[in-house]
Amino acid sequence: MDGQGNAGGNGGGGSDCDAVARAFVEYYYHTFDTNRAALAALYGPTSMLSFEGHGVAGAEEIGRKLAQLPFEQCRHSICTVDCQPSPSFPGSILVFVSGNLQLSGEEHQLRFSQMFQLVPNEQGSFFVQNDIFRLNYG
Amino acid sequence: MDPDAVAKAFVEHYYRTFDSNRAGLVGLYQEGSMLTFEGDKFLGPAAIAGKLGSLPFQQCQHTVITVDCQPSGPQGGMLVFVSGSIRTGPEDHPLKFSQVFHLLPTGGSFFVQNDMFRLNYG
Repeated sequence: MDGQGNAGGNGGGGSDCDAVARAFVEYYYHTFDTNRAALAALYGPTSMLSFEGHGVAGAEEIGRKLAQLPFEQCRHSICTVDCQPSPSFPGSILVFVSGNLQLSGEEHQLRFSQMFQLVPNEQGSFFVQNDIFRLNYG
Repeated sequence: MDPDAVAKAFVEHYYRTFDSNRAGLVGLYQEGSMLTFEGDKFLGPAAIAGKLGSLPFQQCQHTVITVDCQPSGPQGGMLVFVSGSIRTGPEDHPLKFSQVFHLLPTGGSFFVQNDMFRLNYG
């Protein structure tokens, strides 16, 4: 850490956080765009999703909410990914994403921001404990 | 206490302080607090206040559009997700932004443990 207090890639597992965040984000949106039903497996019984202000809890409800979104196909493209370690649980991290969302049949892309809190599971992977999604209207 | 009410009160306080007494924000962070501002990372209240104090505008005004919050875990923390716009001068167009705060309880109030800010370019 330099005299400016810049954490760079070392403080509190910063560089690990970046690699995990990028891998998760890539997997999440690829799954969303190609096999939406499989997203439910990323959530657990305590997970929470806020989608455009509408809150749902638990993997089953979240899976249902995502499956019922009013579009058949979509494609996410990611512009920025930021992450920080979170003290909520050992190894948990916050991930903050911004990007574009193209819905099939729509002329214009939508901009969105989304945040996740990822928590390590027993399988050595992560599940989504918190998920908040917002479209960013022009 | 209603978490939504807590989140809204915090957000109001945070941006009012930012807009009227930016140096006062330092009191909202503790030693392990982290800020990521447009991709640059800062650790601890001094570095964070240094970054916020050195932003290239004297005055600004934040307008909050949406506030979402969720409890973050057994420590009683709260994740707060804000979208809004910021105006940095009377002639300037407002810029859209999104910001994530992770608040942790301290002495009857909250401090900012995690803070991530991004402008949302059209």
